[in-house]
Amino acid sequence: MAERPEDLNLPNAVITRIIKEALPDGVNISKEARSAISRAASVFVLYATSCANNFAMKGKRKTLNASDVLSAMEEMEFQRFVTPLKEALEAYRREQKGKKEASEQKKKDKDKKTDAEEPDKSRDEDNDEEEERLEEEEQNEEEEVDN
Amino acid sequence: MAAAAAAAGSGTPREEEGPSGETAAPQPQAPTSVPGARLSRLPLARVKALVKADPDVTLAGQEAIFILARAAELFVETIAKDAYCCAQQGKRKTLQRRDLDNAIEAVDEFAFLEGTLD
Repeated sequence: MAERPEDLNLPNAVITRIIKEALPDGVNISKEARSAISRAASVFVLYATSCANNFAMKGKRKTLNASDVLSAMEEMEFQRFVTPLKEALEAYRREQKGKKEASEQKKKDKDKKTDAEEPDKSRDEDNDEEEERLEEEEQNEEEEVDN
Repeated sequence: MAAAAAAAGSGTPREEEGPSGETAAPQPQAPTSVPGARLSRLPLARVKALVKADPDVTLAGQEAIFILARAAELFVETIAKDAYCCAQQGKRKTLQRRDLDNAIEAVDEFAFLEGTLD
C-alpha cells in the first residue's frame, strides 16, 4: 500500500464545494480542472508542512505548532492568508476551550454525585488544581521557545 | 417459534472515505449547516495523513493541522478564482484544466506547483 504523498487527495466533494462557493453562480468546473486543483491542494499542504517544519527545527522543536505554519505562509508568499488564519485559530482555540470546559464540567457533576458527603472546602481546592493543570496543558501544546 | 428475523442489513452500507473519490457516490461530510460553527471543511485526519507523509516531520500539534487545513481551503478558493479570470477572458463558463495551468504560470505564488500536477 505504498502511496505517494501526492496521492493522498482531499475529498473531492469538499474540494468541489469550496470551488463552487468561491466562484460566481452558474460557473462550472471540468473534472480535470477539479482533480488538478485537488492535487494542487495536496501539494500545497506538503510544501507548507515542509516549510513549517524548517521553522520548528530552527526553534529546536520537534512538534509543528501553529506559529510555524503561519511563518511558512509568509515564507511561501501567501501573506494574505495570515490574517484570516489567525482569526480562524482564535475561533478554534475558543471552541477547544469550550469543549474542554464542557467535559470538565461533566466530570465535576459526576464527582458531585459520587462525593456528595464530602465537605465543600476540599472541592474548591480541587478546582484550583484542575485549572492549573489545564493551563499547563495549554502551555505544553504551545511549546514556545524564547529566541 | 423462532421467527427468522430478516437479517437483511437494515442500514445502507456505509462507505468510508476511500482513497479515490472518483465514483459518483457523494461522500457525506460533517454537516456544516450551522454558520460560524464551521471552522474547517476539510477532514483533519486527511490533512494529518499528508503531514505525516513528510519523513522529516516528527510531530504536529492539533492547531498546526487545523491551520494547514484552513490554509488549504483558502488556497483552493484563491487558485479557483485566479483560474476563473482566465476562463472569463475566453468567455467560457466552465473552468478547464488549461485555465489552471495559465494561472500557475502567471502567478508567482503558484510557482511551486509547476511540474507537480501531471
